[in-house]
Amino acid sequence: MTEVAVLGVGMHPFGKFEGKSVTDLCRAAVVAALADAGISWREVEAVAAASSRFSGGKGWGLNGNDVVEDMGSTGVPVYNLSAGCSAGGNAFNIGYTLVASGVHEVVLVVGGEKMPKGFIQTSGVEEKTDPEFLRQRCIGVSGPAFWGMLCRRRMEDHGTTEEHLAKIAVKAHANSVHNPYARFRKPFTLEEVLKSPMVCFPLRLYEICPVSDGAAAAVICSAGFARRKTTRPVWVASSTVATARFDDGVTRHVAAVSPKGKTLHSEAKIAVERAFERAGLGPRDVSLVELQDNTVYYELAFPEEWGLCKEGEAERLVEKGETAPTGKLPINPSGGFQSFGEATTAMGVFQVAELTWQLRGDAGGRQVPNARVGLGQTIGLGGNATAVVLKT
Amino acid sequence: MTRRIPVIEGLFAELAEGPRLLGSRCARCATPYFPKSPVCHNPDCDESKMEDAAFGPNGVLFSYAVQNYPPPPPAKYDEPYQPYAVGMVDLAEGLRVLGRIATSDFSKLHGGLAVELIVDRLYRDTDGNDVVTWQFRPAGGATQPKERRANP
Repeated sequence: MTEVAVLGVGMHPFGKFEGKSVTDLCRAAVVAALADAGISWREVEAVAAASSRFSGGKGWGLNGNDVVEDMGSTGVPVYNLSAGCSAGGNAFNIGYTLVASGVHEVVLVVGGEKMPKGFIQTSGVEEKTDPEFLRQRCIGVSGPAFWGMLCRRRMEDHGTTEEHLAKIAVKAHANSVHNPYARFRKPFTLEEVLKSPMVCFPLRLYEICPVSDGAAAAVICSAGFARRKTTRPVWVASSTVATARFDDGVTRHVAAVSPKGKTLHSEAKIAVERAFERAGLGPRDVSLVELQDNTVYYELAFPEEWGLCKEGEAERLVEKGETAPTGKLPINPSGGFQSFGEATTAMGVFQVAELTWQLRGDAGGRQVPNARVGLGQTIGLGGNATAVVLKT
Repeated sequence: MTRRIPVIEGLFAELAEGPRLLGSRCARCATPYFPKSPVCHNPDCDESKMEDAAFGPNGVLFSYAVQNYPPPPPAKYDEPYQPYAVGMVDLAEGLRVLGRIATSDFSKLHGGLAVELIVDRLYRDTDGNDVVTWQFRPAGGATQPKERRANP
């Protein structure tokens, strides 16, 4: 296995872009990543792309092929990876594996998405064999209601208050003010968050993430190639993919086995723990985390489930501002999904871009001081999850 | 006359002893499944020996949330929209089931609450039929207005 570096990253700002195609968004991200890496398109040896369900890809999730045709067909191999909201992380993992194994020296990883408005809907297939269809038709449990159930249990177990939840949203938007790529760059007060409409009790509108259009790209390469191009590469300490355990108590269908232990997203825990193990690093080494905050709840649950803090400690960290960029455990200094909105399949690559800027010390007003090690994590439909550890 | 139509056939039944969810269980490792599963998904079980099983009515609420906003299709509901509670319920048979929690007093809901399975209206269709689904209600006391009317 050869060492792998992130040589360049790029992003198209997140938002709603009526006049642009997903190919337009990806082009902007790819061109920026190539320029940041200091290489030309013709030097890219392979492309690993996230398959979108919502835009481009010729209806088959061939989003990497769209990018290659748009940039200029050079005959490179293309890998289109599908893993729901985890697809960007999967694409990164395949790109990483291709370089680490010595198959390719330079790989482009890209994810882009244009999302339909409103709640994410099911596939549209009305079949009783489709668990998502059954959930929605027989019960009517939207994504936020699912997050709401997990959050409500935590409130009862740990005394989490509505103020704790709102404080996390306030922190996210305070960070986004300093991020030119974020969709929402306005600071929110605690009162504004607490007065936002209840979407699915206990979660309010400003405590869940909307959907957005956006794209992100990363050029990754071998250590040898990186040393010829830059004096300050960011290294990939590890990249992992996992799927869920069958008995973790998370009802991904209409039912699951009642868990013997704690109810938690086992796919995310497995991916992160494996990433630490392979990196030879642990929770204490982490300078910052970019985690999938579809809702503020995950900023409380995930750090505990992964050993970044003790059980029941997350609320105290929030109270003391320790999850801000200058705190003990900075979480989502980018502003997170709360401030960007979720361009579902782009998010794993979006996290790599932010971690890279942070580790280079290029993150401006949202910079985590002395950032050395960054953890990224995604989770997606089907019990998919990914993790990545980058280091200086 | 109003007919009761199951939202999906074969998922639940109203038996003489009460409502039940129709699933299956692996006779080898005792893992319960709802809906029915053709095979056992337990990775620690080496042999699928699937048998039909009926689950319910007794369970414990693990947690709940309120669907304050109307959910997107293919969910269906009566107009005008009324927020409803949904919950994760751990049945005595070792099965955790999602379902609506039939109560209008959300403040009484909490983890650990004893609940029981019912079959009740999800929405009324355009032909005037009641389309029914599995739901749960707090055990030992009817909380639905129509049942209060029936048992004053």
